[in-house]
Amino acid sequence: MFDVTELVQPDQGLINPSIYTDPEVYQGELERVFARSWLFLAHDTQLAKPGSFVQTYMAEDPVLVVRQRDGSVKAFLNQCRHRGMRICRADEGVARAFTCTYHGWGYNLAGELVNVPMQDRAYHDEIDKSKWGPTQVPRLHNHKGFIFGTWDESAPAFEDYLGDMIWYFDALADRYDEGLTLVPGATKWVIDCNWKFAAEQFASDMYHVPSSHASALVALIEDPAVLAEFQEQSAAAPGRQYAGNGHGSGFGLRPDLVPTQAGPDFDAWVVANREQIYRRIGEHRALAVNGHNTVFPNFSWLTINNTMRVWHPRGPGQIEVWSWTYLPKDADERAKQAVRTSTIRTFSAAGVFETDDGENWTEIQQVLRGHQARKTTFNARMGLGHERHGTDGMPGRVTDDMYTEMAARGMYRRWADLMSGLSWPEITERDKSRQQREQEAHLA
Amino acid sequence: MSKLAATPHTRTGVDVETRYEIERFLYLEAELLDDQRFDEWLELFDDDVHYWLPTRMTRTVRERDLEVAGRDGAAFFDDDKAFLAGRVRRLASGRSWSEEPPSRTRRLITNIRPVRLDSGEFEVRVNFHVLRSRAERHHDTFFGERTDLLRRVPQEPGFHIARRRIVLDTTTLLAPSISIFL
Ligand code: FES
Ligand SMILES: [Fe+2]
Repeated sequence: MFDVTELVQPDQGLINPSIYTDPEVYQGELERVFARSWLFLAHDTQLAKPGSFVQTYMAEDPVLVVRQRDGSVKAFLNQCRHRGMRICRADEGVARAFTCTYHGWGYNLAGELVNVPMQDRAYHDEIDKSKWGPTQVPRLHNHKGFIFGTWDESAPAFEDYLGDMIWYFDALADRYDEGLTLVPGATKWVIDCNWKFAAEQFASDMYHVPSSHASALVALIEDPAVLAEFQEQSAAAPGRQYAGNGHGSGFGLRPDLVPTQAGPDFDAWVVANREQIYRRIGEHRALAVNGHNTVFPNFSWLTINNTMRVWHPRGPGQIEVWSWTYLPKDADERAKQAVRTSTIRTFSAAGVFETDDGENWTEIQQVLRGHQARKTTFNARMGLGHERHGTDGMPGRVTDDMYTEMAARGMYRRWADLMSGLSWPEITERDKSRQQREQEAHLA
Repeated sequence: MSKLAATPHTRTGVDVETRYEIERFLYLEAELLDDQRFDEWLELFDDDVHYWLPTRMTRTVRERDLEVAGRDGAAFFDDDKAFLAGRVRRLASGRSWSEEPPSRTRRLITNIRPVRLDSGEFEVRVNFHVLRSRAERHHDTFFGERTDLLRRVPQEPGFHIARRRIVLDTTTLLAPSISIFL
């Protein structure tokens, strides 16, 4: 068995890279991280009518998320209780019921076993159908259209799990009166890398942008003079990073909501709705919180780039990326098209930003095949000792720069606490006293 | 679409010589990409080109018509000429890390099925199998169908691509990226 304290020292920013490769660590993560955390399942608008369903995953477990006739949502393991067949094999659709194709057990939309073929002859009418429905996801939470679920009855309530991150999440989730909708269809692709590289980058890494994405803006901006000026300005812009409960959010402060990457058609809509956005989330937050985000463990988005994704783990060395483009629900068609095309062109598997991220993570993972490489400590010490609280009235631990790895350290802190088998109350307690110590040190 | 598919091969309105020219054009295009002559490749496209690769998902037979994403759905590519030019600029920048060092690609273009439209343009469906080798031992394979709209032009090589719709046979892309053109 592994010793978590030897694997990461989050407070020192030290990482033993075997956490990205060790099969035992990975199995530990499935049990102690993913099965105990709140995971993103679906957005409300994916489940338009009664019977609408999507199949998603909670880590490696396939889960059906289904709109009920009364408008509520249920989620259950996509696994037949007879001999384990995948109950539904479509990615999404509208169903009246689900029938396992192996022997024909039938389930209703709520995931209750309602029909067993030859129940009288084969089971002598002795099967108690109420006991043999697929495993239900016991806790679901709909936060402003974003549906999360957890297997863990003892996990904190969703709001407590998010903590101050909710303020940063709401810069997206609460931005518009009419809410968000998704461009139909997820874009799914596979990267041969550990899930933590992706989750951590979206929590904490603005630092990679000027180097990794050096060529992305070349595609977007034709005039080299304009390009150079833009690059200089955005790298030099003041920024902030938030970290808490394993989550992270980082952003450069912007003087205005526009221009956006989506261009004039979307900008016009944003300008026309500027007051609405300011009224809902405040001018300060609307201008500031526009960057990269991860809700621990594996749900990430880029607020004003209109892309969100889940990094589904597939073994220690592989992920499936499931990404969606989101839009203001009531935007006009031209604005929506502008967002849609610009997000596809920048953040999809062929996007001019996205392709370079996959390249980095794939190569890191390849190098970690080496024995020596897996023993070589990684440096996650950027900004260590420069953490702050309450910068500009932003909630939680907020640094006064976006170039820091505070949120990465926070993520590994939460990861280590969960992996060492601490109970949720113990984790919450430790977090509280850590914060207190920091506050005192900060005031002293 | 279904009407076109039902058209017997003898009534495609494409004589043998034209078919040969179209095939030659498509092989040239593949060669320019495999040889990484992207500036020349870009010249094969009309200024109003739509270059599109919609996503695809697994659906039941009953909902099969919803399998491939529509015009307002998710996509891997949804480019106009200006953005294709931007991608080509990026590839030439020397800092496009998913293609620097560049991939090695090999395109197999087959089952070429041109049909002459009333407009005089050609709709050409082809099957493709694109192999990509990257870095030391990375290997991806992309396969599916392309539907092009080709227009005759007076200058060499005789056609422009006015529309390209690419449909992969995969739903989850088994590759870290599509940093090449299809
Ligand atoms: S496995 Fe589902 S009915 Fe037998
Ligand atoms: Fe990135």
